[in-house]
Amino acid sequence: MFRRLLIVVAISSGLMAVHSYTAWFNPIEKFFDNALLPAHWVATVPARLNEWGQLILSDRSDLEVENTRLKQESLIHRGQIQRMADLAAENLRLRLLLNATELLMDSVLVTEVIGVSPSRTSHTLFINRGANDNVYVGQPILDAEGLMGQVISVFDNHSVALLITDSTHAIPVQILRNGVRSIAEGTSNYDRLRLRFVSPTADIREGDQLVSSGLGGRFPAGYPIGSVLNIEHKAGASFIEVDVAPAAKIDRSKHLLLVFTSEDGSEIGRSQ
Amino acid sequence: MKESGVGLAFIITILLAAVLQLVPVSGFLLLLKPNFLLLIVIGWIIFRPSQWGIGFAACTGLLADLIFRAPIGLHILLFSTVGAIPLYLSGWLVYFSLIHRCLFVFILIIFAEIMRNLLLLMWAIPADYSYILTIALASAIVWPAIDRLLLKINRKR
Repeated sequence: MFRRLLIVVAISSGLMAVHSYTAWFNPIEKFFDNALLPAHWVATVPARLNEWGQLILSDRSDLEVENTRLKQESLIHRGQIQRMADLAAENLRLRLLLNATELLMDSVLVTEVIGVSPSRTSHTLFINRGANDNVYVGQPILDAEGLMGQVISVFDNHSVALLITDSTHAIPVQILRNGVRSIAEGTSNYDRLRLRFVSPTADIREGDQLVSSGLGGRFPAGYPIGSVLNIEHKAGASFIEVDVAPAAKIDRSKHLLLVFTSEDGSEIGRSQ
Repeated sequence: MKESGVGLAFIITILLAAVLQLVPVSGFLLLLKPNFLLLIVIGWIIFRPSQWGIGFAACTGLLADLIFRAPIGLHILLFSTVGAIPLYLSGWLVYFSLIHRCLFVFILIIFAEIMRNLLLLMWAIPADYSYILTIALASAIVWPAIDRLLLKINRKR
């Protein structure tokens, strides 16, 4: 038994080393992501039955109240969008005056979560949009509250997205109040991000709102990332540790938005 | 149960464990979700040590690596190391009472989670020991159902 265990330990250590230093296993992982879709479908049956049951059992008067509330919310949001449109137009004029090249216009596509990674450390989602909907690798994903992550694998009718809380994910951010830039990294914890390499003299306070800075070109600028939760000064450390609470409901949101960004704005208005 | 029936039951239990592992949970339920694949591996090794051993644990570990999107090899190492303990003790474990086997599983899961966190540190994934006790407790609570099921399958031989 022990000899066999030693052989397995040696093989698994070799596999881990290969996985760490090469991309040889990527096709296998991608194939398995595709093959796993029916299992995800079966695993989410209880959740879907629960939703369906709630819909069937909900009282008509409750639905009417909810409908009224949603109409009121829609009205408020429309008003806010009108103000935003005015600001966006002003922003565009100022960018033109500055000869800025990045005239980014975003459009969105609604998508639904059809599966989540069962691991506490690997934060990925399966969504029901794929190459047939023009989804691409690196595409940002939002929920109603903020940025959720980005697409890492695309299949015909579904995709896999990496969440911003995954420990392998990092996103350039800036503080809304003063524009100070930093990098927010995932911590493998659904309700926590961490800012790296923040100088002790940086103007950053608890409660500061963070938005994507757009640096690197992967994520569009201005989407909410989270708010500063805690700032820790460790004696002797060169940098301070800043904890951030994500704005998006990372482990709860079911309906998400895929953001399409085009430089000429031709896709604006594309929404489903 | 005939050998072919046991084989079918084996496949069904593995598939069931994989599907249960994929059931999405959020909030505090994350802290209570046992590793069903590991529990099934422990169960089969306890009740069929002559048939299912290190190789079986390693193969299920590979499946877990792909399901969890973990570095390939991590769960192979974890499952085979953890599986070696009940394999070594299998001669005694079948004579333990259910309560004692639950206690054994509780301790084994604590060991497995500590080992998993230590292995993940190699990829700079921050260790989180806060949920180890809750997961071990949830596994011990779930264990009687797995124990009874596998006992029933293997008694019918």
